[in-house]
Amino acid sequence: MSVGATVAAQEPRITLDQPTARVPRRARRITWTKVVSTIAVVLLFVFIFGPLVWLLLWAFAGVWHYPSLLPQKWSLSWWRQVFNYPQLVRSVELSFLFAPTVTALSAVVCLPAAYAFARFRVPGRRALMITLFSVNAFPKIGLYITIATLFFALHLMGTFFGVVLIQLLGTIVFMTWIPTAAFAAVPRALEDAARDVGASRLRTFFSVTLPLAAPGIFVAMVLSFLASLDEAQGTFLVGIPNYVTMPVQMYSLVSDYPPEAAAVFAVLLSIPSVILMLLVRKHVMGGALARGFQV
Amino acid sequence: MVAPPVAIIGFFVGVPIVISVIYTLGHVGGPNSAVAAVAQHQVATHGLLTWAAYQQVFAQHNFRASLVASVWVTVVSVVIVLILSWAIALYAWQTNSRLGRALSALAIVPMFIPVVIASYSILQFWSYGGFVKTIAYALGMPNFPTLGFSLQLVVLGEVWVSVPFGVLMIASGLGGISPSVFEAARDAGAGVVRATLSVLVPMNLLPTVIVTCFTGISILGSFTVPYLVGPTAPNLLGPEATETFSSFNEPQQAEVMAIVLFGLSVIVAVPYIWATYRSNRNAGVQAT
Repeated sequence: MSVGATVAAQEPRITLDQPTARVPRRARRITWTKVVSTIAVVLLFVFIFGPLVWLLLWAFAGVWHYPSLLPQKWSLSWWRQVFNYPQLVRSVELSFLFAPTVTALSAVVCLPAAYAFARFRVPGRRALMITLFSVNAFPKIGLYITIATLFFALHLMGTFFGVVLIQLLGTIVFMTWIPTAAFAAVPRALEDAARDVGASRLRTFFSVTLPLAAPGIFVAMVLSFLASLDEAQGTFLVGIPNYVTMPVQMYSLVSDYPPEAAAVFAVLLSIPSVILMLLVRKHVMGGALARGFQV
Repeated sequence: MVAPPVAIIGFFVGVPIVISVIYTLGHVGGPNSAVAAVAQHQVATHGLLTWAAYQQVFAQHNFRASLVASVWVTVVSVVIVLILSWAIALYAWQTNSRLGRALSALAIVPMFIPVVIASYSILQFWSYGGFVKTIAYALGMPNFPTLGFSLQLVVLGEVWVSVPFGVLMIASGLGGISPSVFEAARDAGAGVVRATLSVLVPMNLLPTVIVTCFTGISILGSFTVPYLVGPTAPNLLGPEATETFSSFNEPQQAEVMAIVLFGLSVIVAVPYIWATYRSNRNAGVQAT
């Protein structure tokens, strides 16, 4: 952060140092553009990374009083406390049990549909795909109040499968839309060529279509994994008191614990997300996600 | 093959929505009897339907204030997200520089941070004792205002959470446009803003509409960000409905709020449906 601040502070001085008389107009305008864009980049950097860095500092703070820019004393004691607290460790385990289960189930349920949407003439295709989005458009709490009634009737409240199901709902949109775009982007000519040289339908799918669509599917799976890892409202409603996952635990930490403990827990909760981000960043930036919204 | 996800959504989302609508219209029997048995201030009808629950909710000053707050936070956040996403994507696209690429990579990061963590760290960063206040103090402004638990901070939080999607969509759309189009407009004497607004935005309309609609819908119905960083009241309707349900034990009123929000979301979705319809039609024309 301090590095960013220094850059911002120095930048105008560099411009003023330019001997104005000798610099052609064009060059001067470029310098100003550079100054403005650098300041904008620094501000954006602070806006996006500032809160995360600040939280990271809190996780290692022993004593930290306003208005000091850094903790007065560093400490790892809160890390020990968090690791020694069985409830918190249990919530980490639970989160990593639910997220893969939900992702796998979501893939099984949605990928065939994605393939069908991309390759076959499904009547009412667009209407069906927009219907899948309705989960995201209807406010969660309104949904959960009636889902709760339904779950009570089906004896799903407080069960493992109930939590899986409620988390699954939030993953269906990604898991259908993004792979649909990925399958649709596979050139039919390649599939036809494989068929012409004698590959069976199944063989063509597994050796040609699936590998080419894999990046999009991978992005969808990571997003589902993260959505499950992130889901708190529904898990709280259905899972309590048997299944308290990390984000659910985070809500109580935020209100009941000192910022150091919440910060440690938040850093722990972010680690898997950051690792997954590094894995899929290339594909996400490459447009696998953006295409999913334009099929 | 299409059936499983559609069936799951139909059964666990479609059916509950229908049940809720019936409930808000005064039908407390059948599937609603369980929730109705414990509800406070409930409106019931023996006739066909009644708007009484809606009238009751709309008569509350708190609800109206939160409705207004939801709409303005959504509008302001979406506008900021659009401007930021366009600026970042445009800069990366036009300069094709290392800084530009780094910037768009940076803007994607919030997508991978759990929203609970994001909200909590944003709250710590901007409120009393946070980075912003500390810097202001160091610069000799001890009375610098803090944004903790305000609607302004909700806007900042929503922008933080929504920027990655905006940048991805706009950048992906720009990727399909030849830079020479932009250069031609600039050579003809258009400024950057003018060239963007009258050449690039129309060419990149679908992604822009998608960002507007999806960001708008997700902010309207958001819960975590306003719940953690926003004020007690008036706040967005997401937390307001949740409070109405869990703290005041008024599920019917909470459902009314949810349905009002859903209605707003449907209105916000209209441009998206129009734009995809139009772009599909154009694509069809080009293909033949």
